Amino acid sequence: MTDLLPQNIHDALAAKAIEHLHPREMIIEVLRAIQDHRGWVPDEGVELAGQILGLTPLQIEEIATFYDKIYRQPVGKRVIHVCDSIACWSRGAENLYLYLQETLGISPGETTQDGTFTLLPTCCLGLCGEAPAMMIGLKAYGRLTRERIDEILATERAEAGA
Amino acid sequence: MPILTIDNQQIEVLKGTNVLEAAKGLGIVIPHFCYHEALGAVGACRLCAMNFVEGPVKGIQMACMIEAKDEMVITTTDQASQEMRARVIEWLMMYHPHDCPVCDEGGECQLQDMTIAGGHDIRRYGGKKRTYSNQDLGPFICHEMNRCIQCYRCVRTYQDYCGGTDFGVLGTNQRVYFGRFRDGRLESPFSGNIVDACPTGVFTDRTFRYRTRYWDIEEAPSVCPHCSLGCAVIPGGRFRELQRVRGGVNKQTNGFFICDRARFGGGYGNHPERPRVPRVDGAQTTWPEALRALRKRITDLVARHGPGAVAFLGSPRASLEANYLLDSWAASLGSRRIAFDSHWQHDRSARVAAGKLGPRAASLEDIRCSDFILMIGVDPLNEAPMLALAVRQAVRRGVRLAVIDPRPVTLPCAAAHLPLAPEALPDVLEALAGGDIRRLGRREAVLLEGILEQLRAAERPVLIGGPDLLGAAGIERLLDTARLLASEHRPCKVMTVLAGPNSFGCGVLARQGPDFEAILNGMLAGEIKALVCLESDPMTGSSDPARTGMALGKLELLAALDYLPTAAAHHAHLFLPTTAVPESAGVYVNNEGRMLLFSSAMDPGTPISVSGGGDHPPRTFLPATPGSEPRPAWATLGHLQGRRLSLRDIRQAIEMEHPNFAGLSSLTTGGEGKRIADISPPPETAPEIPFPHSEGEGTLRLYAMEDFAGSGELAGYASALAPLRPTPFVMLGALDAKQRSLSDGQQVRLRSELGGVGVALRVVPDLPAGIALVPRLRGTALESYVPGRGHYDCQILSEDEEKT
Amino acid sequence: MKQHEQVLFKNRSPGETAFLETYRKSGGYQGLEKALTKMSPEQVREEVKKSGLRGRGGAGFATGMKWSFFPADKPGEKYLVCNGDEMEPGTYKDREILMADPHQLVEGMIISAYALQIPVGVIFIRYAYEQCSRNLERAIAEAMEAGLLGKNILKSDFSFELHLHRSAGRYICGEETALLNSLEGVRANPRSKPPFPAQKGIFGKPTNVNNVETFANVQHIIAHGSAWFKNLAFTESGSGTKLYCLSGHLERPECFELPIGISLGAVIEEYGGGVWRGRRFKAALPGGASTPYLTAEHLGVGLDFDPIEKAGSRLGTGAVTVFDETTCMVAATLNLNRFFARESCGWCTPCRDGLPFINWLLEKIENGQGEMGDIDMLREQIRNINGRTFCALAMGAMGPMQSLVDLFEEEIIDHIKKRCCPLKT
Ligand SMILES: Cc1cc2nc3c(=O)[nH]c(=O)nc-3n(C[C@H](O)[C@H](O)[C@H](O)COP(=O)(O)O)c2cc1C
Ligand code: SF4
Ligand code: FES
Repeated sequence: MTDLLPQNIHDALAAKAIEHLHPREMIIEVLRAIQDHRGWVPDEGVELAGQILGLTPLQIEEIATFYDKIYRQPVGKRVIHVCDSIACWSRGAENLYLYLQETLGISPGETTQDGTFTLLPTCCLGLCGEAPAMMIGLKAYGRLTRERIDEILATERAEAGA
Repeated sequence: MPILTIDNQQIEVLKGTNVLEAAKGLGIVIPHFCYHEALGAVGACRLCAMNFVEGPVKGIQMACMIEAKDEMVITTTDQASQEMRARVIEWLMMYHPHDCPVCDEGGECQLQDMTIAGGHDIRRYGGKKRTYSNQDLGPFICHEMNRCIQCYRCVRTYQDYCGGTDFGVLGTNQRVYFGRFRDGRLESPFSGNIVDACPTGVFTDRTFRYRTRYWDIEEAPSVCPHCSLGCAVIPGGRFRELQRVRGGVNKQTNGFFICDRARFGGGYGNHPERPRVPRVDGAQTTWPEALRALRKRITDLVARHGPGAVAFLGSPRASLEANYLLDSWAASLGSRRIAFDSHWQHDRSARVAAGKLGPRAASLEDIRCSDFILMIGVDPLNEAPMLALAVRQAVRRGVRLAVIDPRPVTLPCAAAHLPLAPEALPDVLEALAGGDIRRLGRREAVLLEGILEQLRAAERPVLIGGPDLLGAAGIERLLDTARLLASEHRPCKVMTVLAGPNSFGCGVLARQGPDFEAILNGMLAGEIKALVCLESDPMTGSSDPARTGMALGKLELLAALDYLPTAAAHHAHLFLPTTAVPESAGVYVNNEGRMLLFSSAMDPGTPISVSGGGDHPPRTFLPATPGSEPRPAWATLGHLQGRRLSLRDIRQAIEMEHPNFAGLSSLTTGGEGKRIADISPPPETAPEIPFPHSEGEGTLRLYAMEDFAGSGELAGYASALAPLRPTPFVMLGALDAKQRSLSDGQQVRLRSELGGVGVALRVVPDLPAGIALVPRLRGTALESYVPGRGHYDCQILSEDEEKT
Repeated sequence: MKQHEQVLFKNRSPGETAFLETYRKSGGYQGLEKALTKMSPEQVREEVKKSGLRGRGGAGFATGMKWSFFPADKPGEKYLVCNGDEMEPGTYKDREILMADPHQLVEGMIISAYALQIPVGVIFIRYAYEQCSRNLERAIAEAMEAGLLGKNILKSDFSFELHLHRSAGRYICGEETALLNSLEGVRANPRSKPPFPAQKGIFGKPTNVNNVETFANVQHIIAHGSAWFKNLAFTESGSGTKLYCLSGHLERPECFELPIGISLGAVIEEYGGGVWRGRRFKAALPGGASTPYLTAEHLGVGLDFDPIEKAGSRLGTGAVTVFDETTCMVAATLNLNRFFARESCGWCTPCRDGLPFINWLLEKIENGQGEMGDIDMLREQIRNINGRTFCALAMGAMGPMQSLVDLFEEEIIDHIKKRCCPLKT
């Protein structure tokens, strides 16, 4: 279990769930806690969430698969979400998306060989004023150019310890 | 009551009716998928578009979502609504595979029908098709997600209606997926309903896979014989074999759905050892021979020993007509020794219900519509599964449910459970009926006070009880309680679960006659020389199999009419094969006294899969169908009395003799049936009947209970149900387990008067102290533990203790 | 660039977030104090009603009117929900508020809760706005500490607890009934209305949902009065300011607080710095991805609810996305429609399957494989999706789509005739 959730967080969530009138409300909270720790939510994570909240794995999975920011498949250390919505599109996001694929050597949905980056499209990030934009993990990056992307990837890669 | 106009026709409908239903009332059937009468309107498929020309809403609207209102003027044939429906069908068909030729749904596929009705023919969409991978959903249901049209009916059936928690909707947008978390058998005992609910071929009956096209199957409306509720089912046969059962519609009983025992438990009629040929003294013979022999032997016995030497045993799984003819045969011989259920408590319970339930009888629909439910001594999921679903529907509406029962009583809904030992139930009933509440513990008294308060406050309360723990005495008390709680303005209805599909009918026929105990004593004393068993097996059916076996051994003549390879049929000197339920027509009277007609879906015969050795049918030509000897029991019984009777004649005779059955001969199949008329005046009170349990004395008291798929006589012969049967186990309370240093899951030794067996231990936290429970499991060491006969003294030891 | 009165952006300064101290210095929590000490809940509701404030979440429903349907005077479990999902492409105004001055939302919600007599509030924040969530967490903690939130606020007998709920993606969660489901931990499909959330919301209890910007306006209305608020607008019918978030082909695609009713042209030219690269204006989405395009002839239209509607579009969220003359409108609309198709919750057929059908049609046309019949097919798809779905998501998708066939039919025909995209470089 420890590789899904640190004990102290597990216990805190479990305690909160017992107090909670509707533990269901906490599904996303628990899944996000597991994802924060583990990077993604494996099957065992869904089962653990079910245990904590007194729900069946299916009842968790119904919610987990609804949201695109709950990863039910392994991802790299850093997930790159590239905005493909209208404001970014209007300012060249498509080309930058291709550039990212080239640079990283992967197609959308894939993870780099070294396990550092996963590339995913996302809808509008609310960074339309700084379009084109992307988000790596929970960090927002705007005003992207090829050069800036190179820099960002280098920093992120270094931070990820790769 | 609103009056509205649809396609220039006016209709008046009940307030609250939706426009789609209103149109149906005019014979205007508009294509729809997500709407289902039992599941309600959710507006997902957007197919039932109509044009609202006048009234409170205007324009193209989804008819299922709109309540019919006065002055609405609606069209369904206008261009706009037709175009909308055509588009919706086109969208639904964008990705649909061209696999109708290999799809089991073909021919009875709503999607096929709606595609035609919606005017969609050529697929214009030329993009990529969405595809899914399927899951293994276990032995009963096949999954083929590519056929899905996302009407959400399966999940609304499985989760919302049936309370299942292991199947649901995954994903979003055009990739929503209906399935489980992982491969595996669907856990709900009502899982099969998604087959009926799915309008296309996503969920099909695996046991029926690739066997028959819809237009080749022989079907007829029938009644489920697996318990006393009388759910409507539609058995289907082909190649002389019952191939499937699907749910029928009876709004008073099951509504639209059925349980998996009914659906996948139809195989008893196909049993490879089913005796199909008449037999005399172990040798097969012809019908005339067998009938002549039976008549002669009985005449001889009567001549030698008087009519009292011949006894009769009817059966809650035989039709009313057959039971009636058995009764009249006994009477014509001058024998008054006839009982209708070899299980003494079940017999007495049925008589009490039949005699006293009267207008207080609650139907399943009454339960669904009730506003407070108290269940006492009843375990619906195992004893009468659809009752659990009826209760769930009330609970979904926010109705409170209280359960008083020592057993764990699992339900597909929330309930307040008060686990009391069986011995405490009489006190509870006493207290409910206004007796002294202080005889119970303090905690119990407080809870019971609360329940009573809610009972009094409710407008449509229902009490539900069963015979296994309450016995006839308890059922009688429960009825008294309801009478006391009811007032002129407020009914208090009761449902009593009974043992078999026709227990109630047998209860009416039995009147003040003897019970099987008396017959058993007569056999043991040597007074009774012959027993005629109509579709009943006292060897396994009576409360005391051992004593019954001994008694049967003393008989000069054991005659059996049956369609099951029972022990009694096996040992009978004279055997006459009868038709199984799907092969017969007749009447069952369900547990609330509702007369329900079933008709014959197929003729009897050895399945071609058997006679052809699993391959092609044999090429030898015979004048008669192999294995087609079984005859309806009523026909044989008429014949034995030298009477040529049609079912209609018999029904009329029953009506004449038993006024309660008024209306019997005008019943039709497929409707709601008809409640029997209440006997007036009710029969004199029966003799005082003891509860099926005494005060406890120290050793563990072991009670047998029913199991969903393991206990029923018919279920026991249905091989398809095997995956649902548990391995033998015994249940013990946490405290008792701890005292014995036993833990959950451990293998233990169970010792009682019936001997010793090794079983797994299940620790049930709140099982009352001093009590142990076993399911009756046919075909296992737990077969001879009969529910409803009181307790067995027992010991539970760890395997090591046993050795020392 | 003319300076207009800054209300919501008063404390905005680049790269910084104003917290309690700064907020109080600028007059923060005076509205709350006034409401709690000098006004009855009913008076607060009345003031908001008089202010003419209309919802900033996209639908533009009059807030005072919405509140009047709420059973404020009935005691019991009730909820106040802030819709901070903000996933409509082009829209980032709520983010700007929460990055600059989060206490505005907190105060606005407390006053609203007081007005509606609601004991519990939840702020629903989208996944991508982690920094906003942290700002809010801090603001909530500060407010609690200062006795502005929690039990007996400012020593009155009014108590209000405020929670933060972080989501995990999906645009549909912004639809208010889907949002309620999402909060309850069930799948975020919309619910059918009626019953409206004011009658049956979270767990069947009365619930009032408003947008971040809507709530943020409340304390300013209470502090300065409804007359002042109405006067902020340019137009007679409008009231207050609006956060216009500019994006697309502009020199300065930023978010500006401007009087409601300012003209589209003025916003583009004066604030957005004009169309980029010296190109000509072709079209704009005036209020987010679900509003019909406006073209050059509409540059004079005032960005207010009623005038835009007259021009055939909607103010929506006030997110102005501008397209220059080189933009292929088929491709732009395809991009929008792909967004909607992907974000469909999957509940109803026209949205779940109809939007992908349109994607296929537009892709065909854009790739030069379109046929003349496709235009009719497109119209027929729009006709049968628009207004025929369970919730407004697909209707939103049909906004730009309808205007594509109405305003740019020539361009579609051009694609089909030339068997390629004439604007592709
Ligand atoms: C598909 C869809 C998405 C929506 N997204 C949002 C959103 O992200 N934020 C928001 O405030 N309102 C959104 N709305 C509008 C809400 O349903 C609701 O009208 C609004 O939150 C009410 O607040 P207001 O009256 O303050 O505007 C959305 C509506 C639809 C149909
Ligand atoms: S229009 Fe239908 S499928 Fe689309 S988001 Fe709304 S409810 Fe879901
Ligand atoms: S469109 Fe890319 S962040 Fe909004």
